[in-house]
Amino acid sequence: MSTRISFILNGSRVTVDVEPWESLLDVIRKKLGLKGTKLAFCRGACGGCGACTVIIDGRAVYSSILPAYKVDGRNVITIEGLASPEGLHPLQEAFVEAGAIQCGFCTSGMLMSAKALLDENPDPSDDEIKDALRGNLCRCTGYVKIIEAIKLASKRMRRPAGGG
Amino acid sequence: MRTIRKFEFLNARTIDEAVNTLAAYKGKAWPFAGGTDILRMMRFQPLPENLYPEVLINLKTISPSLEYIKEEDGILSIGALTKLVDIANNALVGERYSALANAANKVASPQIRNMATISGNICQLTHCLYFSKPDNRFHCLRKGGSECPAQLGDNRYCSIFGDVNGCVAVNTSDIAPALIALNARIKTNKRMVNAGEFWDVRVPGSTILDEDEIVVEIQVPRPPPDAKSVFMKFSIRSSIDFPIVNGAALIGDGVARIALNAVAPKPYRATKAEEVLKGKTIDETAAEEAAIAAVSEASPLSFNKWKISVAKAIVKRMVLNTKSR
Ligand SMILES: Cc1cc2nc3c(=O)[nH]c(=O)nc-3n(C[C@H](O)[C@H](O)[C@H](O)COP(=O)(O)OP(=O)(O)OC[C@H]3O[C@@H](n4cnc5c(N)ncnc54)[C@H](O)[C@@H]3O)c2cc1C
Repeated sequence: MSTRISFILNGSRVTVDVEPWESLLDVIRKKLGLKGTKLAFCRGACGGCGACTVIIDGRAVYSSILPAYKVDGRNVITIEGLASPEGLHPLQEAFVEAGAIQCGFCTSGMLMSAKALLDENPDPSDDEIKDALRGNLCRCTGYVKIIEAIKLASKRMRRPAGGG
Repeated sequence: MRTIRKFEFLNARTIDEAVNTLAAYKGKAWPFAGGTDILRMMRFQPLPENLYPEVLINLKTISPSLEYIKEEDGILSIGALTKLVDIANNALVGERYSALANAANKVASPQIRNMATISGNICQLTHCLYFSKPDNRFHCLRKGGSECPAQLGDNRYCSIFGDVNGCVAVNTSDIAPALIALNARIKTNKRMVNAGEFWDVRVPGSTILDEDEIVVEIQVPRPPPDAKSVFMKFSIRSSIDFPIVNGAALIGDGVARIALNAVAPKPYRATKAEEVLKGKTIDETAAEEAAIAAVSEASPLSFNKWKISVAKAIVKRMVLNTKSR
């Protein structure tokens, strides 16, 4: 029996009919057409790779094992909500500059975990960054450049634009 | 792509409504907390047709909310639906009940801890390589079958303390050993159970809960002021993985409680090790003796003798870690 749910997706209200067994990931990709959030090897049964990470009410979660039904009335941010009309988010820019992207499959999930971290802790230590990324797998970069990118973004976001 | 098994979703408004619905569905309805364990199961579909839930009962909508942490009269009470992230980050839990805070912080990854609850963690389905295979490929004892494929097959991660009801899969809850070491009680809608008596091996469940019974609260007595509690976990990937062996200990002020998990079908209380430590000052020798005693009753399977060494090392390190305050 499908249910109509309504939630804030990347700043705009969306209303959509969902089946109880449909994951948020399925709904975002198939019904709402946002393909930036990825489904990986788990095929939705969750091996903890993090490619499907989105932010709900400020916290990073796996959208593949969350029934869409449960986000009714909540605030969801996906990778598509990161950039603004003015340009890329500082985290996205830093990922590009630091070479933190190779095949790119993990990138959207990594960015969402990184955003959840910086929103709560604007100046994280290396260990705090590593802890925040524990639920995201990257099989290309070896993580070093991803951590560098997050540090770079954190530095820029704390400094007012144009400042030295 | 594997599709998820279909189910209905019902929002319970009260504890009574939840348990009445569970009773009405006679095993065909399961409680739904954070869903991280249950939705995996509905996707992988390891069970035979007759064992799946048709309805998932959302406990999150119960009012008054089952999501809280409070301490009153020397008892820490944690609502069943409290998320692991909130337990891990709670200052009071971190200070006085550190084994529990550390255990919560070691479950899976931040994303899972942001969704998963304490009751879901302690009620998670005990599984082994064979149990988890999709499409009921191995119709084992815990699915109503007649044999345990792990006994003769790949049992490298299985029990080192024998079977329970023929099953040698291990309980992989990280929270369980912390609750046993801290002498916690689990409150359901029907009764109060000591943590040490909460787990079981059933078809397919892993607890003593009846079909119409849910966990509503976890209660932990405040440890004596000079006792220290610790949690330790060994897993293949340290970033995110189920435990290969984990454990928790509460030692000091005349108390010694040690529990291991992922070493047996139910969490394992290392009573022999506790006895060794009675009246002793904690030092290297005492810790080593306790570690030997903890695994003195182990009986490994064909491929998992190595887990005994891991369990021993964990007990020794935990005991030594309770020394330095
Ligand atoms: C990638 C990944 C890694 C994981 N790693 C770990 C790990 O390292 N350590 C670990 O311990 N676990 C791990 N898990 C297992 C599990 O997801 C977590 O333990 C989690 O805590 C389960 O909580 P939940 O609220 O999501 O449970 P749910 O999925 O909602 O429920 C789990 C089970 O408990 C029952 N249940 C839930 N609440 C109640 C209640 N109040 N009363 C009665 N029954 C109830 C449900 O019916 C279901 O059978 C992992 C899972 C995944 C997907």
